[in-house]
Amino acid sequence: MILNFVSRTFMVALVGVSSIYATHAEDWSQWRGPTRDGISPETKWSTQWPAEGPTILWKTNVGMGLSSVVAASGRVFTMGNSENTDTVFAFDAVSGKPLWKHSYPADLGDKYFEGGTTGTPTAEGEYVYTLSRWGDVFCFQASDGKVVWNRNVQTETGARLPSWGFTGAPLIHGKMLLLNVGEAGLALDKSNGKTLWQSSSKESGYTTPVPWSQGGKSQVVFSSSQSYISVEAASGKELWRMKWVTQYGVNAADPVIDGDRLFISSGYGKGNVLIKPLPEGEPEVIWKNKALRTQMNAAVLFGNHLYGVDGDTTEKPLLKCIELSTGTEKWSDATSGARGLLIANNQLIILGEKGELIIAPATPKGYKPTARAQVLGGKSWTAPVLANGLLFCRNSRGDLVSVDLRSAPTK
Amino acid sequence: MNRRTFLQSATAAGILAQAPFILAQKPNRKWRIALIGTGWWGKNVLKEAMASGQCQVVALCDADSSALEVASEQVSDLSGDKAKRYVDYRELLEKEKPEIVIIATPDHWHALQTIAALKAGAHVFVEKPTGHTVNESRAMLNAAQASGRVVQVGLHRRVGPHHVNAMKFLKSGAVGDVGMVRLFAHGGGGREQPQRNSEPPEGLDWDLWCGPAPKRPFNGKLHPGGWRNFLDYANGTLGDWGVHWLDQVLMWTDEKYPKRVYSTGGRQIAGLAVINDREQTTDAPDHQVAVFDFEKFTCVWEHRRFAENRAEKHRIGAYFYGTKGTLHIGWQDGWTFHPTRESDTPIHEDSQLQQPDGHNLKLLWSDFMTSIADKSKPAAGIELAHRASVLPLLGMISLKVGRSINWDGTKEEIVNDPAANALLSRPYRAGYKYPTI
Repeated sequence: MILNFVSRTFMVALVGVSSIYATHAEDWSQWRGPTRDGISPETKWSTQWPAEGPTILWKTNVGMGLSSVVAASGRVFTMGNSENTDTVFAFDAVSGKPLWKHSYPADLGDKYFEGGTTGTPTAEGEYVYTLSRWGDVFCFQASDGKVVWNRNVQTETGARLPSWGFTGAPLIHGKMLLLNVGEAGLALDKSNGKTLWQSSSKESGYTTPVPWSQGGKSQVVFSSSQSYISVEAASGKELWRMKWVTQYGVNAADPVIDGDRLFISSGYGKGNVLIKPLPEGEPEVIWKNKALRTQMNAAVLFGNHLYGVDGDTTEKPLLKCIELSTGTEKWSDATSGARGLLIANNQLIILGEKGELIIAPATPKGYKPTARAQVLGGKSWTAPVLANGLLFCRNSRGDLVSVDLRSAPTK
Repeated sequence: MNRRTFLQSATAAGILAQAPFILAQKPNRKWRIALIGTGWWGKNVLKEAMASGQCQVVALCDADSSALEVASEQVSDLSGDKAKRYVDYRELLEKEKPEIVIIATPDHWHALQTIAALKAGAHVFVEKPTGHTVNESRAMLNAAQASGRVVQVGLHRRVGPHHVNAMKFLKSGAVGDVGMVRLFAHGGGGREQPQRNSEPPEGLDWDLWCGPAPKRPFNGKLHPGGWRNFLDYANGTLGDWGVHWLDQVLMWTDEKYPKRVYSTGGRQIAGLAVINDREQTTDAPDHQVAVFDFEKFTCVWEHRRFAENRAEKHRIGAYFYGTKGTLHIGWQDGWTFHPTRESDTPIHEDSQLQQPDGHNLKLLWSDFMTSIADKSKPAAGIELAHRASVLPLLGMISLKVGRSINWDGTKEEIVNDPAANALLSRPYRAGYKYPTI
């Protein structure tokens, strides 16, 4: 039974991946990109922009929030909050033309930040899925925004609301839509929203569900307010957990997977750890230190090095490179103001909190920026997204820009 | 008795017997310190204690075991101290016998915990405002005076360099005769949606957290951190920011208290407060004006949790209006004097704030340590902090009764107004006794 399921999932995954690559080689249809690790396979983009900066193809405002963007089949999706209403938006990726939007009542939720939406949509095939801070889950038709199904999983499952609401972007896993709701996730049938399995009602953390496998077992790891917990994807059965108590329960940065090891990190001075889950009991700690305390955006693993932001939003951010196998800091930079980044074509694409775009080689040899441009005002805590040569950047008040990094931009 | 009079009055034999002990004590021994309330601010205060090199953290206490665990890990990382963890402060005081206790719980717990810590023989650093109601604050003052221990209150603007310098400037007469003071703290915001109640988080003793105050259903808006805008546990923006700026007025004036207080305000923007089995909003006013009539000047407090304040230069602070000009004392923006005559040049001094708290906790902590060692009066001692804390509390009473109240500061009574006087105290929940000392 399990074997059957695993092989089926594997096939679905394979089919899924191949179809994405066949039709839209350079989409970014889910949080952290095609491989959910902050790495884009794109190589056809350029930093050869004029002194005044790259072309801003279009600019709009989507309302308050930290939600990132996903791009699929020529459309981009994101969300924001205005006047206690969340709105999910679809735009044409190149022209910025609004395609559709859908609004529903939602508190701004401005507790210790400006508030607004914090989750990111997930696109798959003909559908787009969203989870609001207050538990509203939607499945939309990607083409026209028609609601296929929706429900409020907070009220309907009794899951406790974490202090800042639900945040993790949905994960498509075969026929399931996995959400970081409850202590160790919630699985819905992606076709109709029905619950397939659920965990205890204790507070979730703020990571997105991260898929991985060990010993051929398809697993998904969730953060709760107290722990990181890996469950069997098919059933939600807990396989292991590691206690990880962070101030205010803010376990927010996604675990970074490297084979059978996981890098886990939180801000508020907590620190970070590289673990290896064992057949029984708590995972083995390979090393633990405070070199890369990622409060919100997870680090990106490239080669044997992690690139990420150390420090809370209340402090000056430090952009760092850490060796994964040892935890050794290779370099640290205090000048970039980085809050989020991705890696593409061996380059760090960094968005600073004051809206500065910075390009620098992703190398442990040092931080040497090669290009910069001011692309946004305000305050940006959201990592940039690269899809088909267009870089999408947003700030917390909801200004969203499409920056043209295509190699030969059409004049 | 300070050290000098002690030495003078002691016999020669006494000095000989005491001196080696005193000399040996200073370099070798650290104060045994405990923190009650291990949230964000409590940990900031404790970090200063650890950074002073004069304190050994022996115990931590919080009704939220997750907060306790986080704090314990931080203490161990920063100092190597293995602090014992307690959920109940009474058990901590009894078992650990700390010499210094930091209290950084919500306002409704300050009085009981301060008085218990003093009775257990500890010096106390307690956060502002002193009490949640006037008579709690008075009981804290009385307990402190009876104990002979030092009580420092977290009014760090008493020692902040730009505040101290602005006060020198103000007292020098450079602003002229001051007839009016305006205090303010403005921010953005809008209508508030209720949030669903839920079970308390894992590891939170919600009954203990509420303690002597009413036990509301648990809601994520309350904890961690949001309690300041729930009047059962605090006094909104006036109780939080207001006490700092009202204290600046008391730092300047010779008058000890206002003779009359009037306040109005409401939730016209945030919307009516909601509390039921299903959901809650906060209930503190989204804007408020309070007028404090002193003999020689009028003092006005204003806060808004909407619209920001872009029509003016400053968002937070105090304006002292004098015949020679206007002095603004702010936060990050330091202080600025705007002379009456347009041709005169403004005078400005930047703030000198300390990180990570962005205030001046380090200086306030250092002053506390000096006071304990020298048996001298601390910069933000309980007596002046009591007088400062009473002002926002009176403002809240006037807001609640909807009329001016006349204040007899000598007797600490509201004149001829039994209904308002009743609000100087409040009933405690069963199992807790309102402090009367």
